[in-house]
Amino acid sequence: MIYLATFHWGWLLGSLLLGFAMGWIAVVQRGQGVSKVTSRWLAVLAAALVAAALAHVIPGRPGYWLDLGLVMFALYLAGCTVGSWLRAWVVSGHAPAA
Amino acid sequence: MHGLFRWSSKWWPGVIPLIVLWALAAWNNTVPLESDLAARSTAALKDTVLDKSRIALAGRDVTFSAEAFSEEGRRSSVAAVEAVPGVRLVDDQTRLVPEAKPFVWSAERDVVRVTLSGNSPLPASKGKLLEAARADLGGVEVVDHMNLSRGAPPRFDNAALLLLDQIAKLKDGKITLSDTKVSLSGMARDLGGREAIAAALKNLPEGFSVASNEIKAPPYIFQAYKDPVALTLTLTGYVPDNNVHAALVAAAGRKFFSEKVVDNLKASVGAPAGFTNAVVAALGALSRLSTGTLVVSDREVKLSGDAFYDAAPAQIRAGFAKDLPQGWQSKADIPVKPAAAPVDATVCQQLLSDLLAKGTIRFESGLSTLDPDSAGLLDHLIETALRCPTINIEIAGHTDADGPEGFNKALSEKRAEVVTDYLVRAGLPASRFTAVGYGSTQPVASNDTDEGKSHNRRIEFVVKE
Repeated sequence: MIYLATFHWGWLLGSLLLGFAMGWIAVVQRGQGVSKVTSRWLAVLAAALVAAALAHVIPGRPGYWLDLGLVMFALYLAGCTVGSWLRAWVVSGHAPAA
Repeated sequence: MHGLFRWSSKWWPGVIPLIVLWALAAWNNTVPLESDLAARSTAALKDTVLDKSRIALAGRDVTFSAEAFSEEGRRSSVAAVEAVPGVRLVDDQTRLVPEAKPFVWSAERDVVRVTLSGNSPLPASKGKLLEAARADLGGVEVVDHMNLSRGAPPRFDNAALLLLDQIAKLKDGKITLSDTKVSLSGMARDLGGREAIAAALKNLPEGFSVASNEIKAPPYIFQAYKDPVALTLTLTGYVPDNNVHAALVAAAGRKFFSEKVVDNLKASVGAPAGFTNAVVAALGALSRLSTGTLVVSDREVKLSGDAFYDAAPAQIRAGFAKDLPQGWQSKADIPVKPAAAPVDATVCQQLLSDLLAKGTIRFESGLSTLDPDSAGLLDHLIETALRCPTINIEIAGHTDADGPEGFNKALSEKRAEVVTDYLVRAGLPASRFTAVGYGSTQPVASNDTDEGKSHNRRIEFVVKE
């Protein structure tokens, strides 16, 4: 994992910033979100992919691409979380909504 | 927390650029990542001894194939690759180097190259052997057909290095090491090379032994050429040592009374047994030819040239058969030279006196037995006597003044008779010769000095009208 992080740090930073921007926008966006059912399915899909990556089921290059995608996705989510939080904190006048 | 869930439902649009980013990252990084991991894996194997090591990367998965020289080495090499950071899975395709039984190694030399083949225990020993071969054989092409195998006997490297030294002493041939048994065949480069190799093989490491040694030495050559025009006897080839050298040159000087001895002999070991006796006998035979070549090659003596008279070839061949040491072979190609033109009595006497001025018919001290060294001179005298077939000749024996006169007279007469017999055996009619013994009554020099005495001990040929 450390090796993946050091080798791809630029791309991972990109994912993180993308997530941060998306999180920043998401707080004030008016559009329709993903429904609960869909997001649950998506969570199951993500968990399945993580399980597959941890179990080393997918061999060779696809396996590497899966690992890379999951790491980027995880950082994207982390960026989103931080971004949304910060935006909410800024919007609510330095009192983040819980 | 609730807010976070609410917001998160709106995070999905960012996934689209994320997927693009991911695709770009995968597109750009796959090959660099694979080569980076391959380099790290290779570096991790730097200190392990492996053959045919191959590392192939697919993503982060390594396919590692190699041949290891021990089970322990095989396991530790796989573990080393597994421990490389970033490597996800290792497909272990390693195996042990095949075991050779028997463990055979060989070095073969021909005219232009040395080929090393068979088995070698480790890449390091293989490299060492190649390096040693190149150093020992400076300039000769060294071809490597060696495989790596397990199962080498202990101290293999030392034994193989010693054998490589021996290959340098061969002109062509093959040395094979099968487990601990050494077999050699071929031809040594120099005279004495065979002996040098046999001596070196005594230093084989413990446990190794020589199964067969069929190294041949190049022939031991001695040559003599009698040139009747330049009046020289040229000696070439080899002699075992300086003593034999001096003895042979001295023998040649005695046997060839009118020729100058040109000595081009070189000393070298490797002479066959009985060499000196055989060469002395062969030189004696050559001295009886008017012109001829003598080639002694190992234990074979080849004599060719022209004899002086019809009875001589048979005598020479018989003498050869008797005088050559056991195990020696002779081949004589001796035609008789055409008879020279007849001469009258005066010229005949002149020719006989000239011959006897150049050489002396020798006898064993105090006896009437002809010295074999005088055979050449006698044959020249016979040839001359044959040129004046109608002339009678007195064979006169003389002695020095030592001893009682009665004994000297008897001895000189007996010696004159022996010479006459020799002439008769050569085919001359006995009626033409009279043997007379004068004792010490007709000295030609002073009997007070050894030199004078030696001049007085003589046989003279006197033409009688």
